[in-house]
Amino acid sequence: MKTTEKKKKKTFLYALIVVAVLLIKLATGTFQPQDLEAITALTGQETAVSQTPAQNDELPSSSPVQGTAPPVSAPISPEDIPEYSGDPYVVLNNNLPDFTEEDKTTASFEIYGELDSLGRCTTAYANVGYDLMPTEKRGNISSVKPTGWHSVQYDHVDGKSLYNRCHLIGFQLTGENANKKNLITGTRYLNVEGMLPFENMIADYVKETNNHVLYRVTPVFQEDYLVADGVQMEAWSVEDDGEGICFHVFAYNVQPGVSIDYATGESWLTKEP
Amino acid sequence: MIAILCLDSRNGLMFGGRRQSRDRLLLEDIEDFCEGKTVLMNEYSNRLFLQYNFSNQTVLPDFLAQAGPGDICFIEGNDVLPFWEKVEKLILYCWNRVYPADLYFDLAVLEGWRLTEKKDFPGSSHEILTRKVYER
Repeated sequence: MKTTEKKKKKTFLYALIVVAVLLIKLATGTFQPQDLEAITALTGQETAVSQTPAQNDELPSSSPVQGTAPPVSAPISPEDIPEYSGDPYVVLNNNLPDFTEEDKTTASFEIYGELDSLGRCTTAYANVGYDLMPTEKRGNISSVKPTGWHSVQYDHVDGKSLYNRCHLIGFQLTGENANKKNLITGTRYLNVEGMLPFENMIADYVKETNNHVLYRVTPVFQEDYLVADGVQMEAWSVEDDGEGICFHVFAYNVQPGVSIDYATGESWLTKEP
Repeated sequence: MIAILCLDSRNGLMFGGRRQSRDRLLLEDIEDFCEGKTVLMNEYSNRLFLQYNFSNQTVLPDFLAQAGPGDICFIEGNDVLPFWEKVEKLILYCWNRVYPADLYFDLAVLEGWRLTEKKDFPGSSHEILTRKVYER
């Protein structure tokens, strides 16, 4: 879990609220033992955030908006996506994202959808602002084992490892480390060729303009398969009404030269790329 | 004509009708390079320069057609190839990163040209930017 200024501020704010409520109740003589339970319930979310991964196997997300389901994009099924034909991504819906007008706010936020019944990631959604960007180097994320995860290597793959723990919303945008709601089993090709170029484009834009970019990434799974076919990525720059950033693409979770069983994550060499 | 283009590491120019990236210090380098001479561009590029409070640009809808010898043109989204014979010098700014792209620059047109200058410099949001100058 990252330790950015936003978390410190949030922790401090919750602590202030708790102390203030206790003081008021003590001063007015209305304090009851059950008040402690209510305060615990009020701050329980933050309590989880303050736990370290070593203390809590349920790695919490560190989003400022938690427990809220992110608005999903227009449903897309694997049948809607063209077969992979050599390009790491394909444009969807004439490159127009599917955000509502209500979404287009200039307040930063990040929401990570709950895992589904199979433990798979759902949707990660953020309004990326400069204030969400990391101030520290990326931490260790090896504690997370996304669905379909296998440690397997091929000589022709860059870095040899077929699979990376792919951030849905890249670390450089919101500073999320070992958040299991934001990490999927993705090929090196998906990570570097499919997703990174778009993340770079958003990161540069936000750094240069201090504007916000709505950014939503949704993994697309077949049936009960554990490895995603790819990710749907949508983005829209808010302050300039999409002039700076506007895209809607699907990036393929493939690796040239390797065949993947998306139901399980098993893989085998097909041919030299 | 002196043409200025910005390229990513795979010779990409734009994606979805939009520039791939931007950098304040790159524009400052252009300004320094131009030594006070006006830069011709389209309205889309002009809005970028205005965001950084640059004012030494002239907007013309057909600036590539109108550009004469020595005129400096900052090109985003316009096809320079129909005017290629007029280009006496090409300045390529390299982002040194990969971005999405659906419009590319074909480096094959530089066959026979000379790389007369190459300079790396830090950007405001890019670790290293590179300016390459090609001449016929």
